[in-house]
Amino acid sequence: MSKGLAIIMFSGEAEKFIPLAVLTQTAANLGVPVRVFVTGYALPYFTKNKPQPRFTKEFEDMVPALLEGMRKLNMPQWYDILKEAKETGDVKVYVCSLMAEVMGLKKEDLDPIVDDMVGAAFFMTNTEGYQVIFI
Amino acid sequence: MSERITVDARGMACPGPITKLVRAYRKASPGTLIEVLATDPGFKPDVEAWAKRTGNEIVELAEENGVIRAVIRVTGKK
Repeated sequence: MSKGLAIIMFSGEAEKFIPLAVLTQTAANLGVPVRVFVTGYALPYFTKNKPQPRFTKEFEDMVPALLEGMRKLNMPQWYDILKEAKETGDVKVYVCSLMAEVMGLKKEDLDPIVDDMVGAAFFMTNTEGYQVIFI
Repeated sequence: MSERITVDARGMACPGPITKLVRAYRKASPGTLIEVLATDPGFKPDVEAWAKRTGNEIVELAEENGVIRAVIRVTGKK
């Protein structure tokens, strides 16, 4: 079992938030620390004015069945799963300071689920020996 | 006699049943028996993995009519 999970959340498509939520919650359940680094197209979804992520057009035929199946299982939204994971275990969500600057975002623009705005050096040294997952 | 808690996670999908178990586990005192009912087909190997990782004991693990019943003794807390 690894020391922890370092999840680099780069994508912004709706379906990518499902593995983010499930992997984070599972690690928290197992007592494995998780550090999420939000960058790239994922950043807008971690701000106070977060839009609703959209599914990839290529797989749109599958989306109605996916949503119906998730509704039947009463699956919570990715955001609520992530929030619960933070309450369950050692989970921290960091926003990439470079991407924030590029997009003109300040700390006060970020969603409360975000712990801090940090650079890549901080993230790398704080996740040394962790298993890296790029989403 | 040790305290017994039942967690009904029937109808929930992965990682819901383990999350619900962990929620109860966090509040439980050592020695407590936690009974989990789940229909998630992945629950059996998941609960075994969870117990092994967290140092808790599985007292019972059985499936009947599509419902998996796991009884865990809280031994992973100091």
